[in-house]
Amino acid sequence: MSNRFVEQGLSSPVNLTWEVTLACNLRCHHCLSASGTPAPRELDTTEALQAVEQVYRAGVFQVNFGGGEPFLRPDFEVILDACHARRLMTCVSTNGTLIDRARVERLSRSHLVAIQVSLDGASEETCDAIRGAGTFRSATEALKMFADSQIPTSINTVLTSLNAAEIPALHELAARIGVSLRVSRFRPSGRGVTGWEWLRPSATQLLAFSAWLTSTAGVRTGDSFFSLTPQERQGLGLNLCGAAKLTCCLGPSGDLYPCAFLQRPEFWAGSLRNGTFQEIWDTSPIYASFRNLRIHSCESCQRFDQCHGGCPAVAYHLGRGVAGGDPECLVKCVTSIEAQTRTQA
Amino acid sequence: MYLLHPKCRVRKEKFGLLFYDLRGPKLLFVETGDLLDPGFFQVGGASKDVFADKSHAERIRVERLLKSLVVKGFVREQSLC
Repeated sequence: MSNRFVEQGLSSPVNLTWEVTLACNLRCHHCLSASGTPAPRELDTTEALQAVEQVYRAGVFQVNFGGGEPFLRPDFEVILDACHARRLMTCVSTNGTLIDRARVERLSRSHLVAIQVSLDGASEETCDAIRGAGTFRSATEALKMFADSQIPTSINTVLTSLNAAEIPALHELAARIGVSLRVSRFRPSGRGVTGWEWLRPSATQLLAFSAWLTSTAGVRTGDSFFSLTPQERQGLGLNLCGAAKLTCCLGPSGDLYPCAFLQRPEFWAGSLRNGTFQEIWDTSPIYASFRNLRIHSCESCQRFDQCHGGCPAVAYHLGRGVAGGDPECLVKCVTSIEAQTRTQA
Repeated sequence: MYLLHPKCRVRKEKFGLLFYDLRGPKLLFVETGDLLDPGFFQVGGASKDVFADKSHAERIRVERLLKSLVVKGFVREQSLC
């Protein structure tokens, strides 16, 4: 029901994903933005603070910071403070390596920040195979510090072939630490392109995860507009890709895109160095095209009302074009398993 | 008087009001047209007589909406004294 309001076009996004830097001290195999070294001409502090002001004036409710590792920016807490001074809510996605008690205490003062710590396995072996040696330990230590504070905190896990079997155990680990669990989809962008065949979950794993998610309360998924549990999504009546409708992405150098997974020249909506956030949101042809995007090939599917064609970014990265229909939807998973079974028989 | 919950935000849209609750996060699309201004839910705004220029039918609609927003946790009802 809410889809019709969204399709009319909102005055600004509900939330903004802001990749404040591409600098990262890890080299995770699935990293959507292939982070490592800073991007050329990243926004400096003055420009970043101007961006905060523009986003606030546009009426955005929440800024979701990612990267890269946001805390590698020496001015990151200054940027956060500027958001909070304007009562903008924030969520920071971090790898947890740069967290200490003093930082947690400073962050907790605003009461407007939420934290996601990346953890890609319930065991050290699995997590470190994806994210690098020592990451399981540093992430769980950070999670425990956040759990001791008043900051709403979650584990963020990207579902891959390596950790699919550990998701229930991750849920239990989250409960033991005192945080929640959010599971994101693995997409073949950034370093995920080279890691795709190795790390992509199988159709069987995706179906098993879907069944588990439906039967497990309180686990959020990383939808493109924001994280929601299946129950909340049904309650809202929102089940469409939110790119350029409910959300958009600001890259480290001030460039705007429909979503974090489509930071490519063909999806460039504009730059904050050449226009205001509101102007770009209102007038960008690429944003207009996403608002009018129709996945015709999926319209006859029985599940179309539930997914509206799925994730355009996955379709794009797998060579179908953004309007090509999500090649990893549940219907296609079932079809693929049935075909395999017939072949084996 | 009615005040926005500290963890909630509201803004005007073409269809009416869009509420956001960080605790979910949760969105609420309220088709109010121009019936209510977001400023009504801010400190100072809530003390204005929201019913002053409203018809009887509009008053009933606003009252129902405010009660519904309280039940959903977006708004808190506070005594003036």
